[in-house]
Amino acid sequence: MHPEGKTSLSPRIVDAFMAIVGKENVVYGEQELLVYECDAYTLEKNLPNVVLLPRSTDQISQVVKICAQEKLPIIPRGAGTSLSGSVLAVTGGVMICLSRMNRVLDIDFRNRRALVEAGCVNAWVTNAAKQKGFLYAPDPSSQSACTIGGNVAMNSGGPHTLKRGVTTNHVLGFEIVFPDGEIVWLGTRPDGSEDVPGYDLRGAVIGCEGMFGIVTRVLVKLIKAPQAYKTLLGIFESVDEASQTVSDIIAAGIVPGAMEMMDQMITQAVEAAYHFGFPLDAGAVLIVELDGLAAGLDKQADRVVEICKKNKAREVRIAKSEQERMDLWKSRKRAFGAIGRLSPNFLTQDGVVPRSQLPEIMRFIRQTSDKYGLRIPNVFHAGDGNIHPLILYDERDPQQVKNAVAAGNDILERCIELGGSATGEHGIGVEKIDFMAKQFSKETLDAMKMLRRVFDPETRCNPHKMFPGSKRCGDFAGKKQISA
Amino acid sequence: MELKPNTIAELSELLACANTRGEKISSVDLAALNRVLEHKAEDMTATVEAGMTLVAFQNELRQRGQWLPIDPPHPETLTIGNLLSANSSGPRRFGYGTIGDYLIGMKAVLADGRLIAPGGKVVKNVAGYDLAKIFVGGQGSLGVVVEATFKLRPLPERETFVQKKCNSLAEAGTLIEAVLDSELTPVVLDLHNTSGSYSFVLGFAGTNEEVAWQLDKASALGVKEPASLDYDREFWLQRTTANKIAVLPSKIIEAVQGLNGASFVARVGNGVIFHNDTTAPKKADLPLHLFQRLKDEYDPKHILPELTL
Ligand SMILES: Cc1cc2nc3c(=O)[nH]c(=O)nc-3n(C[C@H](O)[C@H](O)[C@H](O)COP(=O)(O)OP(=O)(O)OC[C@H]3O[C@@H](n4cnc5c(N)ncnc54)[C@H](O)[C@@H]3O)c2cc1C
Repeated sequence: MHPEGKTSLSPRIVDAFMAIVGKENVVYGEQELLVYECDAYTLEKNLPNVVLLPRSTDQISQVVKICAQEKLPIIPRGAGTSLSGSVLAVTGGVMICLSRMNRVLDIDFRNRRALVEAGCVNAWVTNAAKQKGFLYAPDPSSQSACTIGGNVAMNSGGPHTLKRGVTTNHVLGFEIVFPDGEIVWLGTRPDGSEDVPGYDLRGAVIGCEGMFGIVTRVLVKLIKAPQAYKTLLGIFESVDEASQTVSDIIAAGIVPGAMEMMDQMITQAVEAAYHFGFPLDAGAVLIVELDGLAAGLDKQADRVVEICKKNKAREVRIAKSEQERMDLWKSRKRAFGAIGRLSPNFLTQDGVVPRSQLPEIMRFIRQTSDKYGLRIPNVFHAGDGNIHPLILYDERDPQQVKNAVAAGNDILERCIELGGSATGEHGIGVEKIDFMAKQFSKETLDAMKMLRRVFDPETRCNPHKMFPGSKRCGDFAGKKQISA
Repeated sequence: MELKPNTIAELSELLACANTRGEKISSVDLAALNRVLEHKAEDMTATVEAGMTLVAFQNELRQRGQWLPIDPPHPETLTIGNLLSANSSGPRRFGYGTIGDYLIGMKAVLADGRLIAPGGKVVKNVAGYDLAKIFVGGQGSLGVVVEATFKLRPLPERETFVQKKCNSLAEAGTLIEAVLDSELTPVVLDLHNTSGSYSFVLGFAGTNEEVAWQLDKASALGVKEPASLDYDREFWLQRTTANKIAVLPSKIIEAVQGLNGASFVARVGNGVIFHNDTTAPKKADLPLHLFQRLKDEYDPKHILPELTL
């Protein structure tokens, strides 16, 4: 079902796009466009009119200028791994996909920074820097697919953002094409200083969910890879005890590099898929990774073990080799992928609570699971209080679809009541629009719209997202996937 | 017009009124808003009113083993509001970053009196735009910040400073490269000439073991004379502002050479130099038209101070 105001596109304009980016970089026609009907949030789908795969900033600027003349919506796209429908072409439009602008352009090790094209895959940055002992810190679990441009748009996090912060703390500056076609550099330039006078427009654009323009090149910070790691796996009888351990570690003044939890259902699925050696009967497992200088790390690890034991951990294992550590992280980062074994479909939620409220929200999730008769495994960034309940459902059963959405909503509402947020990393997109008015006053929402007006006065860039009152795509999953 | 509100509501009214009349605001004194509203040590977050001084805030946090790891000059008089609007920082910036890295939520009153509350109280939160960022370094030109919520850090078990006097800038330059190439992870990496000769200063923080190991390593590189951050305090005692040069970090020595021997303190790792020289600095290439649009949007009648660059 298409909402009113569906965009139409004349062949003349498609020709103009082809002349700019080349015929082979234009995707046109319903079958070809199917790949672009949604991102990793699959409850709402719609096709863009056309997808362009430009190869330079200049091409993007030219294309965007045509869109401005013709008043066409533009939708920036990276790898399409967003979990909130932020890439959905709600009323159609021109999708500009950065996947062919994916190079690491330059690494300046001396000044600890790398210049990459926005379509560069997150993991490639660290891959290019690690021989010299550096890394790019934000590591979303989707890092082998998602792009730096997408990370900038979503202000993405990851397991290791507990100690080091999220994307905004690691992006120095970037080039952006605004919806009128103007090309501007915001923040630190590749050969420039960290200190940039005036308003922090860089910071204001990061996390805008693609609504301010198209990011084309990004200057990221590199950090020195930690000299040593101590990666512990605490095995607990219950989620409550594991959650209490998280709070106690923080209270002890220890800030691990990462602190991730998996409950029993997800641990079983991960074990069946990747055979790491997780116990199948444990209520929860907690991964605590300490990193930094080798000196003193053992002593810190001892304290963590002590805290785990105090909270009745059945066992605490320590990764014995770099290989074992990598295997552990591989299992954790691929946890979403293991869900296929449990259910045909799942809805990932992304609420945040103050860390000390983790036991409470985990109890609430169990109640919600019972209430709707849906299984809800959990794998999440426990150290940040950022939960990821995975609500399992079968899209062939309309009642289950409704229940899954209702369960997700209940959980996010509870997060907000507990002083948290409806989203820690995945963004509002089209999915969580209704939570904006629950989390922010009208005045605050208006002030956000003012910011949007500065960059996109016509609200043409990634429209119908984030703000209450936006157009919707109609019924959930209204448009069935046509098998290609 | 000078404003001295007792409450946020009063500030809202005063601004709304001034805005209607188009009256310019010269200063806003938030001395009445000077409390820590909440310090949740178990969550490592705290909410504070903007009129509180940084020292007073840190003193409260310290009681429960935490701090905001930002160390700008004049913390006894610098309020949280001014810290945010000036985006001030200090020697520990190399290790900990700047105030924007710790800000997770705020309340601000816009020029027309509307109270807004972007962000929140949790350490990770991407709901809505990151609106709070435009107020950091915004010099109070877009609105008045009245409350801020920060993520915090545990106080380090130990913090120690060491220095080496260098006879020439070339020697300092070689030392800087050696430290950057080493396994050291200093939180302070400064060069200054406030005591006559060039002094290269390193600061280490963390567990006792980490600090001890680093002191050993630094000593092997010749940096071992015990030091403190007094040079920075003294440099700022004589002034509230200094000229600043900001360069690519690898160009720091070159930039210092151009200072004609004036007194300076340089944040070597960040490429920032505060100095006494009077030569006008090079103007940065900035998107001024966007700055203008931002100002026009949030303060259409321009009653709040203008941004000065
Ligand atoms: C299995 C899985 C695990 C995940 N784990 C994490 C995690 O740990 N942490 C986390 O934060 N997220 C996670 N995500 C969510 C997602 O990967 C991130 O939001 C990611 O940043 C999206 O990048 P992308 O390149 O796929 O962008 P897309 O999904 O293509 O786009 C996302 C948004 O960014 C905009 N955008 C994309 N490129 C640009 C550009 N060049 N300029 C301007 N706007 C642009 C789009 O318009 C859209 O609004 C996960 C997703 C999956 C599927």
